[in-house]
Amino acid sequence: MAISGLNLQILINHCAAAADAMAFTLLKTAHSTFIKETEDFSCTILSADGHAIASPHSFGAPWYSGMDYSPALELIPTYEPGDICITNDPYSGNVATHTPDMHIWKPVFYQGELACFVAGHIHNTDVGGAVPASLSRSLTEIVQEGIRISPVKIVKAGVLNEEITEILRRNVRLPDQNWGDFKAQLASVNIGERRMLEVIERFGLEDFRAGADAILDYGHAQARKVIGTIPNGEYRFDDYADEDGASGNPCRIALTLRVFDDSVELDYTGSDPQVSSSLNMPTGGLERHPLAVVGLTYVLATLDRQIELNSGTLRAVRAILPSGTVVNCEAPAAVGMRSLTCLVTQSATFGAFARAVPDRLPASAAGGISIVNVKTFDRHSTPIMASLGPVGGGGGGMPTADGAEGCGGYAAFLRNTPVEIIEVEVPIRMQRYGLWPDTAGPGRYRGGLASVMEFKVTSPNTIVTARNRDRSVFAPWGVMGGRAGATSVFLKNPGAENEQSLGNIDFIDCGPDDVIRIVGPGAGGYGDPFTREPDLVLRDVRCGFVSVENARIQYGVAIAANAVDLAATAVLRGEHRPSPANRFFDLGEHRDAFEAVWTEARYDFLTTFLATVPTIWRQFLKDKLFAAVAEGRFADRGIEEQMGLLRTELVEQFPFIREAA
Amino acid sequence: MGFRVGVDVGGSFTDFAILDESDQSVRTLKVLSRPDEPGAEVLLGLRTIEQEYRISPRDITYFTHGTTVGVNTVIQRNGTKLALFTTPNFEDVLELARLKIPEIHNLLSGRPEPLISRDRVFPIRERMAADGTIIEAVDRESVETALQAALDAGCEAAVISLLHSYRNPAHELEVKSIVSELKPGFPIFSSSEIWPIIREYERTITATISGYVQPKVKHYLDRFEEALKELGVVPKPRITRSNGGVMSVTQAKNECVQMILSGTASGVIGASYIAKACGYGKVMSFDVGGTSADVAVILDGQPQYGVGELIGEFQIYIPSVSVSSIGQGGGSIAWLDDLGILKVGPDSAGSRPGPACFGRGGERPTLTDAFTACGFVGHSELGYNAVSVDRSLAEKAISTLSEPLGLSVQEAAEQIIRIAVSGMYTDTSGLVSRFGVDPRDFYFLAFGGAGPMTACFLAREFNMKGVIVPPTPGVLSALGGLIADLKSDFIYTLYDDLRPGIEDALRSALASIETRAKRWLFEEQDFEGTPTISCSADMRYRGQSFEVETPIEPAWIERGDLTAIANAFHDRHRALFDHHDVESPVQIISLKLVISGATPKPIIVEQVARPGTPSAEVHVPVFMGGTEVPVPLYRRADLSCGDTFSGPAIIAQDDCTTCVPEEFDIAVDSFSNLIITLRR
Repeated sequence: MAISGLNLQILINHCAAAADAMAFTLLKTAHSTFIKETEDFSCTILSADGHAIASPHSFGAPWYSGMDYSPALELIPTYEPGDICITNDPYSGNVATHTPDMHIWKPVFYQGELACFVAGHIHNTDVGGAVPASLSRSLTEIVQEGIRISPVKIVKAGVLNEEITEILRRNVRLPDQNWGDFKAQLASVNIGERRMLEVIERFGLEDFRAGADAILDYGHAQARKVIGTIPNGEYRFDDYADEDGASGNPCRIALTLRVFDDSVELDYTGSDPQVSSSLNMPTGGLERHPLAVVGLTYVLATLDRQIELNSGTLRAVRAILPSGTVVNCEAPAAVGMRSLTCLVTQSATFGAFARAVPDRLPASAAGGISIVNVKTFDRHSTPIMASLGPVGGGGGGMPTADGAEGCGGYAAFLRNTPVEIIEVEVPIRMQRYGLWPDTAGPGRYRGGLASVMEFKVTSPNTIVTARNRDRSVFAPWGVMGGRAGATSVFLKNPGAENEQSLGNIDFIDCGPDDVIRIVGPGAGGYGDPFTREPDLVLRDVRCGFVSVENARIQYGVAIAANAVDLAATAVLRGEHRPSPANRFFDLGEHRDAFEAVWTEARYDFLTTFLATVPTIWRQFLKDKLFAAVAEGRFADRGIEEQMGLLRTELVEQFPFIREAA
Repeated sequence: MGFRVGVDVGGSFTDFAILDESDQSVRTLKVLSRPDEPGAEVLLGLRTIEQEYRISPRDITYFTHGTTVGVNTVIQRNGTKLALFTTPNFEDVLELARLKIPEIHNLLSGRPEPLISRDRVFPIRERMAADGTIIEAVDRESVETALQAALDAGCEAAVISLLHSYRNPAHELEVKSIVSELKPGFPIFSSSEIWPIIREYERTITATISGYVQPKVKHYLDRFEEALKELGVVPKPRITRSNGGVMSVTQAKNECVQMILSGTASGVIGASYIAKACGYGKVMSFDVGGTSADVAVILDGQPQYGVGELIGEFQIYIPSVSVSSIGQGGGSIAWLDDLGILKVGPDSAGSRPGPACFGRGGERPTLTDAFTACGFVGHSELGYNAVSVDRSLAEKAISTLSEPLGLSVQEAAEQIIRIAVSGMYTDTSGLVSRFGVDPRDFYFLAFGGAGPMTACFLAREFNMKGVIVPPTPGVLSALGGLIADLKSDFIYTLYDDLRPGIEDALRSALASIETRAKRWLFEEQDFEGTPTISCSADMRYRGQSFEVETPIEPAWIERGDLTAIANAFHDRHRALFDHHDVESPVQIISLKLVISGATPKPIIVEQVARPGTPSAEVHVPVFMGGTEVPVPLYRRADLSCGDTFSGPAIIAQDDCTTCVPEEFDIAVDSFSNLIITLRR
């Protein structure tokens, strides 16, 4: 059946059904909670040359829909029917993005000819290495992050290689769980193969191949059409992780978006050098690596809800990822917490596109979602480990509506854990779970509020971890006159004498009666808050989302006796109103202050200089420069001269870097 | 001797099934629904029945009724103004729900607006621990404050949902009694009474929906009862419910959440009954209306049950017949995207204006229009003269697509059918995967206005055995309600390890729900006879996040046989997921009991099948496979048991049209079902 515009949708539907069948099989048979609770898995139908043509519609991790497997596929010289390959090595083929992600693929042969591949990944709870669960910000090289399997035929012509599986089992903490998950993956690709053979049988091999190309072309055409509605130009936006994980200094993602008619370029030049923590993104510099372009996927799906998400969609983009930076690290850098950095690249992408099409995209979502876990003991001294769920903040204010409360934007796929389940399973007392007032970035349409979780510990030797802590320092930005959201607050024993602010600390020792409170960041607002409908402000006050005081200060709305005081509001909003934010973005106080010191020029100097030194020196020298600037060395000179003097000092102190360069 | 009547009010049509107690035969009727005046259609129908079948309302001995009033109230968001009382510092339960937002890739999407806005949520000072012990007693003053605030805010009723009330309802009951004392007659719904499950959001939303629709449902049922009385109908109506059973009208007025999905559930019950009576073990019901197709798996005459069914934008968590709704129906609209790719759905012309060919103002081409333009549909009146089909209107609507595509109208129409069917295929495929069944062993049991029209095309995609079309496919929901048993579910949340020492707790839990169940059946529903009781437990391995419902024998609990309970769980887990783990500790989350009291069933009389070949009334030109071919048209009423013939064929009857492509053989079985078998 030849493929044309008349029946392309039929082929798309059938391929999607095959991917759905793979996903259901995986969900039903997998063991890890990562798969069942946070749906951290993917299932993909690939063309014969490794491009994703279909993935499940409404579940699975949202990052991998446009995956290009070809770099990994090509590391296996030949395929024959019945082969199944795996890899979890971020440095071979750049398909896996950290070691817990085990990728698998199987060639589908139809009458002896390679027709397509079926592929997927799951996040294993543990793959060995220095720490349980194999992930920690503090790890410094990839070998600490567990066993790595470079692309290999785990099943060769239908025969399982038990030598490899035995090595795998020997190197992980929960071998039975990994084995169960691996069997689930095998079942999933086998179902996928069977279903794709039915599809190929129906359409015929040649027409299927042509159809796979047509699906990719269609995705590309849809993307081109969407991009065609975005004005040509260069749009710059940077965003920061609060800390680079090694020094306490921020980690900057610099992004220049270039729109040329129907294609876009995401140029990450100027992003920070690779770090000595595990925040690095192992993209291999690939132009369409999912970690670098996932922000674009969200933007396209937002601008056109009907768009197919496949590799073709991403043909319209090219990312520039300088080597030795945090967006394209070199081995043996650790990469386990690349998700935190990836979230910043997404935020930067949204900011750059917001500049281009401000009337079609929201302000910044809160980001900085902490995944809270606790390890404690019950009354029989039995250790208990449990996930208390994500704590973050809402979606960004939108052109015509407020952001989702508590969790939204690019974290929309997360689910929480019910309070009642937590209290039954874990001997802690939940004291509060809900929304935190006055955290939303004010706007004509405000950002979504932060969520809050507060609990009391009952046992000694309790450890609370909060993975992906961020946005305690740099706030989620507002646009079009909308204001930045509040930053995240993480406290031990709030309100007590021994109150302690934990900032971005992600590992806390606790004892009986210690109280932990996490308030996520609030999302940015959209549009001038002084133009917000007073009735909406009143509703927010009645709901307890905004205080009467902030209604007046942030929105210029006077609320008295549970009603809008129209006359007083008119005065507040009249000629004496505080001057509106005259910048497109409101980046929050901290970032304004930081960028007053770390200007564009200073950052240019930093990244240019560090690019000339050996990779291993970059974090070290970055820390030195930040310290010197903070101390105010040569601060009486102009920025250019000051930085030049600092560089000269460093080169004199460490002559090796000049020789190496 | 008299007549038993089942009525199901749907979006477009109201269906009647009438069972004659003298010979157990069934008669049917369909009238247009009256969303503008709910209840009017039922009265019209009963009058028509009196005129056409000479059945006086006084001769009605039993009456069941299913209505969409509840679900429409949620969809249209015009329910009552509720307050919510919660434990302090947990007031945002409805705002946050379970966090996940349906459209995960769209940065401009959000959760649906809660049914109770945050300014109508008020704290009650109290705290219950997870084991049901009281940490802080109910503070009466806070109840007074909350009630006053609710009244000040104009609330007409309140929902109470306090933490851990599934374990110990004392605080909720205390709050309820204080409110009743302070403000007698103020409606108040406690989450532990409505459905006492663990997980605060799920319990709260279930209670909220129940309270939200209650005044409307009660008002409707009051009027409905009144009208029946006026007509002279003696028995009180029974109301069909989401679990596939029926209950008294009094209960329906109070526990509205139980009847909210009654229409879809009744259809599956009707289909199950036909499957069982006629001996078809593996069947998927396929109920296609204007906007959606509902598919349910039926094994050996038993539907599957589950929780989490979708009501408008919200899920509810009471046990319901498991039905997957697919967003493709007879009214799904065909369109061209900007790049010239032909698509069908998700937008639908619904029942108003409906397909263009119905001539009720629809202008955009729908799936039904495509079938009409191809010549499959439109050879007889539909819906008992309620609707007529105008082919020229269908062709006109489709020409808006065929012209830009450079195709003939019929070529475009055939392509629309193919695309719609492939969309149904994708969604149904998900259902098939979820239930782990092999569609090649199954028949579709097709009903609803558009089910028999599309079923063969979809069955062909799945390489299924074929399609069964019952004698009265248009009124299967009404029939399902008519034959439904009195049935109710009871739950006791334990949340404990299945460990030595809990035997007594299990026994007392079972005794408690069994007592309640029997009181419900015998005292509240006035049932006389022998009940059927079945037991199950929601269990899981410690650390898992989903429970597996496992059937268990009450005797195991009585004799404290924990091994038998654990083994039943291991077996069930393996059957569902291909693996189990006898070493892992097993948790028992809740104990469930289903009680039912059987109601009389129609006897589907088995006829003597005489082999024969029917003669077509006429051959009509149908466009299929890119060309127009003459296809024989049969009247359903002219077919007799034992007739066999081959596709292509069209079988027209009062309430639907069955379309059979070439690859199928058709037989009329001894129960007058069309058995359409795929040649393979």
